[in-house]
Amino acid sequence: MKRIQKSSSDIIPSGYLWTGLIILAVVTLAPFVYLVASSLSNKVELLDGHLIPHHPTFLNYVHLFQGTDGANFLHAMLNSVEVAILTTLISMIIGVFAAYAFARLHFPFRITSLFAVLAMQILPSVSIIVPLYVLFRNGITIGIPFTHVVFYHSPPLLDTIWALVVAYTAGSLPFVIWLMSGYFQSVPKELEEAATVDGTGRFGTMFKIILPLSLPGLAATFIFTLLNNWDEFMFASAFTTTFASKTVPVAIQEFIGRHSMDWGLMTAGGFIATLPPVIISFFFYRYIVNGVTAGGVKG
Amino acid sequence: MAKLSKRQKGDMWFAILLLVPTILVLVRIFIWPIYQSLVWSFYHYNLLDGSAARFIGLKNYVYTLTDPQFWMSTWRAIYFTVFTCSIELVLGLFSALLLNQVFRGRTIFRAMIIIPWASLTLVNGLLWNWILQPQNGALQVVMHALHLLPQHANPNWLASTDGSVIWAGVADIWKMTPFMTLLLLAGLQSISGELYEASMMDGAGFWRKVWSITIPQLTPAIIVALVLRIMGTFRVYDILTVFTGDPSSSVTYLTMNYGFRYFYMGKASAMAWTSTLFILALIIVYIRMMKKNMDEQT
Repeated sequence: MKRIQKSSSDIIPSGYLWTGLIILAVVTLAPFVYLVASSLSNKVELLDGHLIPHHPTFLNYVHLFQGTDGANFLHAMLNSVEVAILTTLISMIIGVFAAYAFARLHFPFRITSLFAVLAMQILPSVSIIVPLYVLFRNGITIGIPFTHVVFYHSPPLLDTIWALVVAYTAGSLPFVIWLMSGYFQSVPKELEEAATVDGTGRFGTMFKIILPLSLPGLAATFIFTLLNNWDEFMFASAFTTTFASKTVPVAIQEFIGRHSMDWGLMTAGGFIATLPPVIISFFFYRYIVNGVTAGGVKG
Repeated sequence: MAKLSKRQKGDMWFAILLLVPTILVLVRIFIWPIYQSLVWSFYHYNLLDGSAARFIGLKNYVYTLTDPQFWMSTWRAIYFTVFTCSIELVLGLFSALLLNQVFRGRTIFRAMIIIPWASLTLVNGLLWNWILQPQNGALQVVMHALHLLPQHANPNWLASTDGSVIWAGVADIWKMTPFMTLLLLAGLQSISGELYEASMMDGAGFWRKVWSITIPQLTPAIIVALVLRIMGTFRVYDILTVFTGDPSSSVTYLTMNYGFRYFYMGKASAMAWTSTLFILALIIVYIRMMKKNMDEQT
């Protein structure tokens, strides 16, 4: 086996390093392990305060997926998946074009508009939630502004997953643009110039040269947006009233209220809901780290 | 305006073509709503009493700024933000230093710390609520077992709103420290080892190295990470809803209550705008820093 090369940035002595790592691992994992352990416990053991179940049981999971509540929970899972994927796809398709323009083309007010987008990304969502609610209650109209020409008037969107898709897009789109324009900027300009000389058109260079080279960035942005939308709770709780459009976080919260804190059920539901993002981030760990650092530090 | 070459003109039209979908979408679902909420903040606009919206000037703002609940919730939000962000920074820095070293299994450790961050925020809140339950919650059981707490003691940590806000902070720290760690880790990787080698010659120990090399070199990353976390924490909503059930525990919570419990849309808009102005000040600082950073790079 290859000997591990010490580097001069290793400033913590070995003994302290491993003490620190063990503490880090315990603190990081203990609450999560407790979540799993509780979800496998029966009611009596939970009330006795047993941390690890003596008689593990899947009863909480059976209850979770049984009867009307079970159907509702499954429906909420489905809603979450639909909303997260739809939002991510829509924001990526629209945002990637804009990001390309910001990163690669010269036009007036380029930097200013890019920073306007950044400001939108970090503005708290509570500042648009009230008008969006009214917008969804009345239905969205698509037409020519300042005229009475209307192409399409949607039915009220409250309590449909479309309300969430639209609201989440407002948050995700600026994020996609900001992250992707950073990635596009890191692709060497020479490649593009070479393609232009060869007579490839503008769309051609974008699709054949820049996009394939930015695949890791696209993946990072996709996963990051997906995880953010899976996690969102505030819009979801404001715009949904029935299980037709509730997402997982809202469903779990409702679940608890009606069963007056059935902790077994809560931990089972919480574990199931947490599983997809945890699995995704484990498999795509590298991309996520890229996404975090590109989004925050590099700009 | 300077004359544009044919190529530059083409670039401009291509850029406009690429930007049109984004502009249309953002104007419709972001810029217009923000403007609308500014307008409504000057209106009496109540969805439940059925009356027509009418202009009332600054009354909503006067109401907001003289409402003791508003100030209480703002102070709690600031308190929560300072408490969680400072601890996250310290813990994040140490975890980042640990994970920046070279050791076997580093990737596993780096991937492991993402678990709390990837878990759902609401579930995180509920999980910690469960850990803190009196009698059978994990924290009491562990503390009893370790004799840190007298056997008959059975404190209810979540009994008061102020107590709950602190424990919600603990939950937030557990979940978001990894995010801080990842941001700082990226910053650490750009510090050259030569600096540490040079300090080694002077016989500098661990604390000395951290204090005189790591922290000064890491300052830009620290500032960016802090600003990002502060803006994220100030608007916290989901954790506090499951911890306190008290709208005055955070401004966002209070605003949401005005909007979607009582449907006072005008008042909620005024409140949202007031707290947004706080954050806007931070955003301006952040953007200026980013812009400076960008100018230095090019």
